Amino acid sequence: MSDIPPLPEIIFYILRRGLYHSLLLTALGLSIGFILGLSLALMRVHGAKELAWFSSGYEKLFRGIPLIVLIYVFAFGLPDIFWYIDPLELRLGSVVLALSLRSAAYQSQIFRGAILSVTPGQTEAARSLGMKESQAFRHIVMPQALRLAVPSWSNEYAVVIKDSSFASTIGIIEMTQAAYFVSVNFQEIWALSYLILAILYLLFTYPITRIFGERQSKKLKKMGMGGG
Amino acid sequence: MILQDRPNPIGELLIVLEYWDHLLSGFLLTMWLYGWALLMGFLLGLTLANLRQYGGWFLSRIASGYIEFIRGTPLLAQLFFIYFLPSSLNIPVGDWKIETSFTILNKDITIILLNYRTLAGLLTLGLNSAAYQAEYFRGAIMSIGTEQLMAAQSLGMSRIAGIRHIVLPQALRRVIPAWSNEAAYLPKYTVVVYFIGVKDLFSQAHHTVAFTFISVTTYVLIAIIFLVTITIISKGLDIIHKRTMIPGL
Amino acid sequence: MLRVVDIWKSYEDLHVLKGVSFEIGEGEVKVIFGPSGSGKSTLLRCINMLNPPDKGEVYLRGQNITASEVNINAMRARIGMVFQHFNLFAHLKAIDNVSIGLRRVKGFPKEEAQAKALEVLQSVKMEKWADHYPAELSGGQQQRVGIARALAMDPDVILFDEPTSALDPELIGEVLQVMLDIAKAGTTMIVVTHEMGFAKAVASEMIFLGDGVIIESGTPEHFFVSPKSERVKNFLKQLDVLYGSHEKLLK
Repeated sequence: MSDIPPLPEIIFYILRRGLYHSLLLTALGLSIGFILGLSLALMRVHGAKELAWFSSGYEKLFRGIPLIVLIYVFAFGLPDIFWYIDPLELRLGSVVLALSLRSAAYQSQIFRGAILSVTPGQTEAARSLGMKESQAFRHIVMPQALRLAVPSWSNEYAVVIKDSSFASTIGIIEMTQAAYFVSVNFQEIWALSYLILAILYLLFTYPITRIFGERQSKKLKKMGMGGG
Repeated sequence: MILQDRPNPIGELLIVLEYWDHLLSGFLLTMWLYGWALLMGFLLGLTLANLRQYGGWFLSRIASGYIEFIRGTPLLAQLFFIYFLPSSLNIPVGDWKIETSFTILNKDITIILLNYRTLAGLLTLGLNSAAYQAEYFRGAIMSIGTEQLMAAQSLGMSRIAGIRHIVLPQALRRVIPAWSNEAAYLPKYTVVVYFIGVKDLFSQAHHTVAFTFISVTTYVLIAIIFLVTITIISKGLDIIHKRTMIPGL
Repeated sequence: MLRVVDIWKSYEDLHVLKGVSFEIGEGEVKVIFGPSGSGKSTLLRCINMLNPPDKGEVYLRGQNITASEVNINAMRARIGMVFQHFNLFAHLKAIDNVSIGLRRVKGFPKEEAQAKALEVLQSVKMEKWADHYPAELSGGQQQRVGIARALAMDPDVILFDEPTSALDPELIGEVLQVMLDIAKAGTTMIVVTHEMGFAKAVASEMIFLGDGVIIESGTPEHFFVSPKSERVKNFLKQLDVLYGSHEKLLK
């Protein structure tokens, strides 16, 4: 039974070893998901029937599969195709790919909802000035839609940073894996190390969702946006 | 090219399907976990929502705190915390189990319905789902509005009676679309129990991979099974929703 | 300058407009009124092609804008519209609301557009609120910005779709005053409204629309002294009860 290190040391250890990958995976997953998700939303709102159908199918597919299974599909499948790439990078790539594809499906829904809730009168007014549909969309609808999407998007951020913890299951050293190392080396605090881990994640999620969540929704309603 | 010497996906699929009894056992256990977790989440979630909305200052804060904590932390961390809690507190866990067996098509299938690991997994999933379900219930309760409760009280009903007979029945009907969403997607999250050694569908998939060395196809098959299951549950709930609709609610 | 010829419009089985025709010359003000559901709003949206008619044509300065080859956006830039619910761009300040049409549709450089926008805001007495967002303005203020937004484009004609119907009574006066001012300054206006005081003051012609057709049209004197149809008489009587007090709001 070894001496248990003091609490601050445990926290610093988890952060030092794991924060980098946790944040990297989250950032990549969210940004690729953003680009892909926004495109999918536009496909469903303004695209031809086939595109809309594809986008709808994509959403259903990547919402209906467990993230871990998706990660494993890539983790086992990618090395076959990309045998020349370093294994660690492949594992990171698997997680990023899985996170992005999943996030895109959810972000697509978020943006589609936001676009649809911009008051129709706004587009009418824009067109009455002589703007083309594309101009009205770019300058009037999208700015408002993006603002309306903030509360749901802050929620998606929280989801992705939590989901990045699954990277630990294929050996990537992010925060959850670091906590695992702690718990293995100091078995009396099995549970405590995970409690600490949980609180660390909470620090990353709660402030953001609190500020950009419901409070933002109410602020937007007051500004007269959305509700369409 | 590197892919030339791999057997075709169909061939691989057939090999994997020879282990259908393992996969079935895993699937049944997954559904078992799903059912209990959903139920637990429902009961606890509804309680939390009521506490948040109608509890006093203290109780509603506790409920909020619980919900924010669960929603702000990863499921995996919650799982490990609960799993390791007894051993950290030096509470003995024991090696007990409750299982059931039956035979299908000449294959024996045994499912461990309950043991320590399964219990820990089930508890985690239930506690987790409760926090998310609570948010849906709270939204529905809020949307029914205080006026309904005021009207009930003006008739002489106590607050609790008003909540029980006027607000909740309406709230529960209104929440069905959003709740169906959570209910349909919950099976996805049961896969985490693999990491504490519960033999769910995901775990059995690993097992099969260990025997067949066919990995991608197996996991894709699992993904498809989940997708189909979720779609069926979703459509089923949709049908129930349409059958029990009340105009205006 | 604007000719509306035999407009027909229906939604599914419901015929909303059944052959409406009229003309308006430069500097004239036409007031369209009638029971709700008679198609007044639809008519306006047919004129600026936001909702193209099923049958019929609209001629702007001799040009058939309902023809398919026409660049409808360029046409719309010449027809202004003021909406019942203001429809100000919620994410833009007042001055940007007025200038965005100049910048994005007419291609004005930013400084020119802002300068012109400020000028127009002055004419509706809203220049002090240029940097405010719509949510910070009262209904009457928002509508005045809406009028400014339409005016800034120097349109040939401005369509008003019940501009004061969504306003609280105390705020209606300021908007009607602005409308009076621009009417007296020679703006060509087609106004759907129930504000009879406004009509009496500046309308060159009034049109009563009912069940999708023009039932009666004529000068204000004609309507208020000796309307022909019973229906119009009854309608005017009801209007007077509701809106007669607004005449005092106008000078």
